Amino acid sequence: MTASTTNPATKFIDPKALMNIRNLELRARAVVEGFWSGIHRSPYHGFSVEFTEYRQYTPGDDPRYVDWRVFGRSDRFYIKKFEDETNLRCHLIVDQSRSMDFASAGVTKAQYAATLSATLAWFLHQQGDAIGLLSFDAGVREYLPARHRPGHLRHLMLALEQPAGGTATDLVTPLRRVAEIVRKRGLLVLVSDFLTPLENLDRCLTTLAAAGHELTVFQVLDPAELNFGFDQPTLFEDLESGRTLFVDPQAVRTSYIQKLEAHCQAVRDLCQKLGAHCHRLTTDQPLELALFDFLRERTQRRHVARARNGGSR
Amino acid sequence: MNFLTPAFLFGALALALPVVLHLIRRRTRERLPFSSLLFLSPTPPRLTKRSRLEDLLLLLLRCLALALLTFGFARPFLKNPSVAEPVSGQPRRLVVLVDRSASMQRAGLWSAALAQAADILGHTTPGDQVAVLAFDHEVNRLVSFEDWQAAPPGDRAALARGKLEALKPGWGATQLGTTLIAAAEMVTEAEVQQATPLRQIVLLSDVQEGGRLEKLQAYDWPKNLQLLVPPLKAKSPGNAGVQIVAEAADTSLTNSAVRVRVSNAPEATQEQFQVGWAEAGDTFVGPASDVYVPPGQSRVVALPLPPPAAPGVPPTRRVQLRGDDEPFDNVAYVIPPEPTTLRVLYLGADAAGDARQPLFFLRRALPDSPRQRVTLDARTGQAALSAGDVAAAGLVLVTGALSAPTAGLLREAALAGKTILFAPVNAAAGAPLATLLGVAALPLREATVKNYAMLAELDFEHPLFAPFADPRFSDFTKIHVWKHRVLDWASVPSARVLARFDSGSPALAEVPVGRGRVIILTTGWQPEDSQLALSTKFVPLLLSLLDYAGATAGLAPAQPLVGEPLALRAGGQQVMLPDGTSVALAAGATNFTGTTQPGFYRVEGGGAPQWFAVNLDPNESRTAPWSADVFETYGIGTANPLAAAPASALRKTQLQAAESESRQKLWRWFLLATLLVLLIETALAGWTARRALPTEATA
Repeated sequence: MTASTTNPATKFIDPKALMNIRNLELRARAVVEGFWSGIHRSPYHGFSVEFTEYRQYTPGDDPRYVDWRVFGRSDRFYIKKFEDETNLRCHLIVDQSRSMDFASAGVTKAQYAATLSATLAWFLHQQGDAIGLLSFDAGVREYLPARHRPGHLRHLMLALEQPAGGTATDLVTPLRRVAEIVRKRGLLVLVSDFLTPLENLDRCLTTLAAAGHELTVFQVLDPAELNFGFDQPTLFEDLESGRTLFVDPQAVRTSYIQKLEAHCQAVRDLCQKLGAHCHRLTTDQPLELALFDFLRERTQRRHVARARNGGSR
Repeated sequence: MNFLTPAFLFGALALALPVVLHLIRRRTRERLPFSSLLFLSPTPPRLTKRSRLEDLLLLLLRCLALALLTFGFARPFLKNPSVAEPVSGQPRRLVVLVDRSASMQRAGLWSAALAQAADILGHTTPGDQVAVLAFDHEVNRLVSFEDWQAAPPGDRAALARGKLEALKPGWGATQLGTTLIAAAEMVTEAEVQQATPLRQIVLLSDVQEGGRLEKLQAYDWPKNLQLLVPPLKAKSPGNAGVQIVAEAADTSLTNSAVRVRVSNAPEATQEQFQVGWAEAGDTFVGPASDVYVPPGQSRVVALPLPPPAAPGVPPTRRVQLRGDDEPFDNVAYVIPPEPTTLRVLYLGADAAGDARQPLFFLRRALPDSPRQRVTLDARTGQAALSAGDVAAAGLVLVTGALSAPTAGLLREAALAGKTILFAPVNAAAGAPLATLLGVAALPLREATVKNYAMLAELDFEHPLFAPFADPRFSDFTKIHVWKHRVLDWASVPSARVLARFDSGSPALAEVPVGRGRVIILTTGWQPEDSQLALSTKFVPLLLSLLDYAGATAGLAPAQPLVGEPLALRAGGQQVMLPDGTSVALAAGATNFTGTTQPGFYRVEGGGAPQWFAVNLDPNESRTAPWSADVFETYGIGTANPLAAAPASALRKTQLQAAESESRQKLWRWFLLATLLVLLIETALAGWTARRALPTEATA
């Protein structure tokens, strides 16, 4: 699913150029509008008002949804049902730990993740969906419940603009907290670098998936983290714990890449197991691609879900 | 390669700086923040060869730049032996001046001066011309240039040393100014025969403040003549001295007490002294007075005179100062003055006690003083007068008519050297004037004075009026003259008019007669003639006249200093010096110049022995040294005074070095090389940094 870095995405905005826009909201709008203008013939246009089925009225149903035209024709009460898209509740779970502060070429992962989250929020907000936010580092930093209200987006952007902090990344606690808070089923978007041990993560994610939430995972990484292109033996300093380690990159590069890939694979496997989609993004990729991936995945999922649920939703 | 300022080589210590900086830089650069160490395994710290070499190159370049800069500042030059050798062997023309004044008697000074002299003489080369002079108030040539040249080169230093060792510091005053001028002229006089550019005077002296440098002010010091003043230090910086206070001859000594000044040097440590009379050694005879003199100050003490010795008994008592370490100026000699008798012969027709006659005023105008007793011998001009009476008188005053023999006698006396004041009370009394002056006839007549006449056109250059030359005293217009006389001055062509009346008629004139003179006053001082006797000018004029007549000459006991001549009475045969030796005098000698030591001098022959107390020059007690730059204020080029001959050699090589350095200017090349190295260093550092940057960015 990862968008290839070799994609000649000339029509997309370069992340570095995008990050020059100081205002996060403007940045998000720029991405979304670029996206709109990029896809003129969107196959997903108007999907949120799609009719799904009729159902026999049973006492207790809201008489609002009775299709009176059908009643007039057949003298039976039918309830007209639509896809519940417009009432989508989306929670963005954003990692703001200090490891996200790493940048080898200008754009930190935290900036990238914030812009990504803001873009998604803006996009969903445009559609009229309710967006919530939970940011975390070593613990939960901020929680904004999912709402669709004027001004809510502003709060969300402000929360996203908080600088990274914290001395560790704890994925488990925020996910548990989400499971506690968000009772209603919805979409959970997890944005993190996942550079932390994965113990207990599968249980949390399983709990969430079992609660009916849809899960989408964005793993944001720096290119330097992937290829480890250092050549000077240096004292590496952990951004979160401050621990230092003397490392000769040439000696450890192979083992590092192996370990990292294994780790990422573990994350992917976990997502696959739960039916969640895992997107790995590097900070030099255009954000529109991430949005594109996200939407495509959403469509696929709906079709899958519809097929799986047999249209009885 | 040599260095002009090798002290700058210490700057090479700064080479440690880049090394330290490199160490610091390596440590700070190694930290790299990274998102997570989760997948990193530690590797043992080891430095790759490549990075080490690169840094080493930079380090070397930086060290090289610093080293080159240091070398450049040290002013390197290449010694050129072919130039240096002849200069170091350059012949010198050298005068060694050795101070033998009394202040050199202080402990440690003379031996230090001799040692310095021996050192300088030992460093002479056969090509040098050396003269050795000793000086106090006069300059003695111990070894002249000719003596030096005449002696075989090996014996020259020994010759000079031998002369110096035979010498002892004397009692003379220091005449540094005249000595330096004499030495400078001596060095430069024979310049034509041999062009020796290095001319030096070495002054071995304590350079005391009392050394009288003032003469140098008017002297144009020759160029290229160096003065070397090696410092000579006395063992103790302090010194106190005692002198007889002699501000003016009349007031210095009274009958009862003598005033002495005790002065103390500025750097002295003692402040408490005792002054008293002593006969031998420093044991006081009678009571002594305690004097507290802070350093740099002086106090005047009045010492009661001892009872006068009987006539003929030699004076032994002198003023002694106790409490000072330097004994040379602790004794002052004083002879209590004996009042002398001065005889004035007055010839006039005065009635005794007549308050309108000249004699009345004359008696009151010649009072006795502590040092002289005036005897006025008043007679009438008609009375018989012996030649002895005239000879005994110091001054002859004539106001009345004279008998012919008396006039002839006076004429004889005037021819022999007497001074006669001729002030006729009236025209008739002026008759003897012709006899006195030796002219045929010189009639006087009364002048017609309208209202009154005043004195004008006074000759203040004449000794008689010299005391009145000051404008404060030169106003004679208050003296009104009612009557005066005129005579035919044309018949006395040799007359010198000393004062005229406002009418132009001479009031006072001097006519030389033989060895003596006749002074003609054409008016009288009595109130009938003028207000002269009642004016404030009368007594000073009379005393001035006495001095001019020579009546007081030789009477005042002078206080001569060492080196000053003693004025002798006629008939002196020999002089007994204070140390007991006697010096025979030439017949007719009027003074004695051999006063080489302080003390009592006795002149025998010609009546009662004549005593003189010769003292040390008070300036010798001012022993505080001049500051080192005093000679420069007189425009004298001084060399480094810290060392004499070796220093001058060192100085020469230094000058040599400076010259060749300034000619070669090697420091420029060093500076250029520094800049070049710095450029290379900058380029290399920039290249390294640029190379390091992309690898990190693309990583």
